[in-house]
Amino acid sequence: MKILLVEDNDRVAQFVRNGLTEEGHTVDCADNARSGLFLATTASYDAAIIDRMLPDGVDGLQIVESLRRTGNRTPILILSALAEIDDRIRGLRAGGDDYLTKPFAFGELLARVESLVRRSQGTGIRTVLVVADLRMNLLSHKVERSGRPVPLQPREFKLLEFLMRHAEQAVTRAMLLENVWEHHFDPHTNVIDAHVSRLRQKIDDGFSPPLLHTVRGVGYRLGVHG
Amino acid sequence: MVKPLQSTSVRLAVGYAALFAVSSLLLVGLLWWRAGADFDRWTDAAITADAAEISDQLQDAGVRGAMQAIHVHATNVGKRGVYLLADRALTPLAGNLSVWPEQAAPKPGWYWAQLSRDGAVHNVRLLRTSLAGGLNLFVGRDLGDRAEVSGLIADTLSWAAATALVLGIGGGMLVHRAVLRRVEMINDAATAIARGDLSRRVPFHDGGDAFDRLARTINQILFQIQELVEGVRNTANVVAHDLRTPLAELRARLEELCRARPRDDAVVEEIKQAVADIDRVIGVFNALLRLAEIDSGVRRSAFVPVELAALATEVVELYTPLIEEKRASFIVDAPAGLSVNGDSHLLAQAIGDLVDNAVKYTPRLGAVSLRIAPSIAGYVEIVVADNGPGIADAEKPLVTQRFYRCRETDGEAGIGLGLSIVDAVARLHEGSLSLCDNHPGLKAVLRLPTATSIGAASP
Repeated sequence: MKILLVEDNDRVAQFVRNGLTEEGHTVDCADNARSGLFLATTASYDAAIIDRMLPDGVDGLQIVESLRRTGNRTPILILSALAEIDDRIRGLRAGGDDYLTKPFAFGELLARVESLVRRSQGTGIRTVLVVADLRMNLLSHKVERSGRPVPLQPREFKLLEFLMRHAEQAVTRAMLLENVWEHHFDPHTNVIDAHVSRLRQKIDDGFSPPLLHTVRGVGYRLGVHG
Repeated sequence: MVKPLQSTSVRLAVGYAALFAVSSLLLVGLLWWRAGADFDRWTDAAITADAAEISDQLQDAGVRGAMQAIHVHATNVGKRGVYLLADRALTPLAGNLSVWPEQAAPKPGWYWAQLSRDGAVHNVRLLRTSLAGGLNLFVGRDLGDRAEVSGLIADTLSWAAATALVLGIGGGMLVHRAVLRRVEMINDAATAIARGDLSRRVPFHDGGDAFDRLARTINQILFQIQELVEGVRNTANVVAHDLRTPLAELRARLEELCRARPRDDAVVEEIKQAVADIDRVIGVFNALLRLAEIDSGVRRSAFVPVELAALATEVVELYTPLIEEKRASFIVDAPAGLSVNGDSHLLAQAIGDLVDNAVKYTPRLGAVSLRIAPSIAGYVEIVVADNGPGIADAEKPLVTQRFYRCRETDGEAGIGLGLSIVDAVARLHEGSLSLCDNHPGLKAVLRLPTATSIGAASP
């Protein structure tokens, strides 16, 4: 994938670029708003990572807004040291697709970028999600594995749906909390792990191979390959 | 909120009207009293003059002269005049009384008396004098006129008093209206500020009366509050940038080190521990920023009606697997239809924190409960209880203080800010958090004003 990174802090920029390059992505870097906007409008990217506090008092959201005004639909992850609830809402309203506050774990950033790209490549409206022998019918809200029905609670259904839409991708606990539950406040304990392990019992117990994997230091991945 | 204010200006208006009425009644009473006194003085003067003249006539022309004088006076003064001349044995000699009224006036001097004349009883002012030669003289004035005049004066004065009362009440109402309007303007601005709209100011004229001076002083205070809150927010933003960025760098360095896969496992473990430490610092930092944001009150401007049952259901559902892992029971009683005016994110955080605590401290096979019920008028209570170790009475007031952690729970994860945040959220919503004993365990009661009671207070 080709990714644009607009970040003025050398150290953080280098960290992100190294990490993404290691994962096999191509990264273009800009350390100010002007060159960031120039790159974004002249080249085509699969995703852009834009920091909010840029040199000369420019807010990265201005880049996002200009891009969206000209009809540019590149998936954008906003990176910010501003972590208040309203900052996040403002970022998403400006046209950002996701919002990550500093400091962050690289795994979190990577999972979010890949999720954004996947979402933007999503082809039309799907009514059935399939991962190996696990099938989810989004219209009848029925889930079955190897032809056997798996009864799920509404929230387990939403959780599994998110995991299946990001099949073979690592998703983080924060991503699950933000996307599966409406009020993403900070649970201090590992509530998400408890939900995932309950879901795992329902879809993996008595079936082979296991589909729901724990990715150390990142979160979870649903897929055939452990 | 509006009621005491209204009653203040009503009291003011009623007080003004009462003062006006009392003072005008005093004035009227004084007039009435003065008029009566003057009339009495005139009467006494006339009687004295008559008596002196009759006495002079007696000396100049003898008894015949005195009788002549009495006759002239009685004719001139008419029915109002009372005259009687009697000899030593009190036998009437001349005058318009048939009998000497010994009972009414036993000795010489001034009297107020009632005399029967022409078949009617009259109030009379009398002077009895002893004349030369053992003669006795009565000179008096019928006071029928006085009653008539004072009745007239009383009539006029009571009309004046009634007019004064009406004017007083009218004036009072005008004062009430004017005061109320000014106070209401100040109250509006203060309420808006309390709700988080920091840009509001109290309107004032250039005139500079007491209210204008008050408005200017309040505006000055409001300006300072706004400066302070913005200062806090700016500091938070600057701190956010200046602290998060180096932390982000530090975390990035450590993660890169780790990704370079050093051969020594112990080193990898150390680095991971360092990253976890940074994450904990960030956690405290985020909680402090969140507390500062809640305390500033700015989030009040975004308050909306929030249905508590829906919110509670979500929190309950989030924590159910953890409770099941502990094999604890979870009793939930959250009837629909109870709403508060507030910030749904913060309320979810507060309820979540309480449930989080309860789940953390309840023992295996324990019992956790969440109940929502109407409380005292206009309030709703969210009660979260567990049967864990609870909090010692001495420590209860301390646990909502920032960074305070109970002695017995030092082993548990946490940074001692959870209950501070719940407390701050409660205060932001004009509610309260109280911690009680659940015998055993802790019962946390979050009391919030219901949506309707807040709605009723805002015009």
